[in-house]
Amino acid sequence: MALIELKDINKTYNNGQPLHVLKGINLSIERGEFVSIMGASGSGKSTLLNILGILDNYDTGTYHLDGKLIKDLTEKQAADYRNRMIGFVFQSFNLISFKTALENVELPLYYQGVPRRKRQEMAMEYLEKMGLTPWATHFPNEMSGGQKQRVAIARALITKPQIILADEPTGALDSKTSVEVMQLLKQLNQQDGITIIVVTHEGGVANETDKIIHIKDGIIGEIEENTRHTAWGGTIIK
Amino acid sequence: MKKWFDTDTFREILDSILRNRSRSLLTGFGVFWGVFMLMLLTGGGQGLKQILMNEFDGFAQNTCIVFADQTSKPYKGFKKGRSWNMNYADLDRLRNLVPELETITPVVSLWGKSVSRNDNTSSSAVVKGARADYANIETPRMMYGRYLNDSDNAQERKVCVLGKKVYDELFPEGGDPCGQRIRIDGSYYSVIGVDWKESGGININGRASDAVTIPINQARKVYNLGDRVYMLCFTAKEGITMNDIIPRVREVIARAHYVDPTDEQAMFLLNTQLIFGIVDNLFKGINFLIWLIGLGTLLAGVIGVSNIMMVSVKERTTEIGIRRAIGATPRQILGQIISESTVLTLVAGMMGIVFSVLILYGVELAMTQDGILKAPFQVPFATAVLAASLLAVLGVVAGLMPATRAMQIKPVDAMRDE
Repeated sequence: MALIELKDINKTYNNGQPLHVLKGINLSIERGEFVSIMGASGSGKSTLLNILGILDNYDTGTYHLDGKLIKDLTEKQAADYRNRMIGFVFQSFNLISFKTALENVELPLYYQGVPRRKRQEMAMEYLEKMGLTPWATHFPNEMSGGQKQRVAIARALITKPQIILADEPTGALDSKTSVEVMQLLKQLNQQDGITIIVVTHEGGVANETDKIIHIKDGIIGEIEENTRHTAWGGTIIK
Repeated sequence: MKKWFDTDTFREILDSILRNRSRSLLTGFGVFWGVFMLMLLTGGGQGLKQILMNEFDGFAQNTCIVFADQTSKPYKGFKKGRSWNMNYADLDRLRNLVPELETITPVVSLWGKSVSRNDNTSSSAVVKGARADYANIETPRMMYGRYLNDSDNAQERKVCVLGKKVYDELFPEGGDPCGQRIRIDGSYYSVIGVDWKESGGININGRASDAVTIPINQARKVYNLGDRVYMLCFTAKEGITMNDIIPRVREVIARAHYVDPTDEQAMFLLNTQLIFGIVDNLFKGINFLIWLIGLGTLLAGVIGVSNIMMVSVKERTTEIGIRRAIGATPRQILGQIISESTVLTLVAGMMGIVFSVLILYGVELAMTQDGILKAPFQVPFATAVLAASLLAVLGVVAGLMPATRAMQIKPVDAMRDE
């Protein structure tokens, strides 16, 4: 079985007027893949990512993550899966502003109950990996966007997840840092074999991935194999 | 499994509280003020009560005093308006017929007597004739020598005990006056003791400090008082309520003198227990008000904490969402918010306790004269402990609502609020 297996996922938001966002999504993503989900805003790509990240529930269908059915989980179970299986990278970085880079990176381990000393050691190790050792004691507002996103990636990686879910990871970055971040993700995928799913509406970003899943109006359109990275001209243009 | 109270959790809590210092300070002030007022008023009320009680100091709390006056009701053929007196036989009658009585003692006061030691020193005083057991009614506080004893009375000795003011006037140089002689109305008495008691608001026949007390049998002889008893004081035995036996006391005395036992004017009876009861009730009322106000203020403070925590949770939606997204369970979030509110309440409250204790300590210092504390103002330790545990409970309660609100924050909210 694939790492991620979605079968006929439907999701409707009931805020006043019912909004059918996902209309039968079928998708499987294998272990070690580097894929992007593309679509215009309102296409349902963020909702899909939320469901993949167990941040949101779906109405009908089945979602198997690493062979386990993800449905009707208790908050505690969901929190545990998120903590151990999935690393999140957000468009707006979502670092906690009153914590230093080091504290931000070690936070997931805090919720796992890892002892302080161990946590700090590991956090330093991951910051080093991101080339941020000198910035360990800086607060997010003292760092550039690229640095913040690298801190966020370090935070996503520290629990050694199998999947990284990145929601517009380059959305708030300039093209140069966008390239750097995408290179970083690619490197993680190739060297550590982490499955990476990037949600984006930028063709250049999607082109960095090996597979592009187009989503439109709540259904999956074309699935483009992109192992040669030739789609969209091959560069990130902003 | 994570421990409930490790340094990490504590750091998280401290971080959040200190992040918004001025707000935490203002919020905590409500609780601080509530506890401070509660403790201060409790201590103050207790001290004031003690000060008032000091006025009754040295008086047995179950004392009753009886005077004879003109009758106001006709009885057994006698018209009203008749004068009558109690006599020494009444003492034996009461002793035999009202066994609940502890001390029964007569006392006589002779007003405006001039007391002198030599030509230079003189003083105006109340001469009191009393027996040794009068000490059970109005407790003397002997500075020098001793109080009257039974032999003084039985042998009609010419001895006296001086009140503080009389002593100060007759012996301005100070020192032990025992053995020296003073003169009252041409008779000489040797001083056997000085009563240092400063009487407060309640006096029987004049202030204790103005009095010169001599054996009553001596007074009877010198001033020709005969068998007449001017005033009778008695106390009830432990556990006996004075009001229960007063009708029988009236009955016994009245019957012997053909006076209507229901004639309240003929036999004027002063029951100190009644007065103590009134004071007691007064302070029960005051105490009730103190707790009402104090707890009310405290409650307002706690509601303030709850309110601010609510705002803070709302503000931190993103932060809480991030925490949830990276693996915090709702329970951990709940724990954090409740701990924050508890720590805030406890710290503010403890400061209130400490501050009020300091102020009350200052009041006690101010109230201390010659190293003797007039009244204890300090709150009892048990009250402080009670207040502290109450604070802990209130802190948890205050955190409950904001915490449930925080628990409802979904991880997706972190991304939505941009």
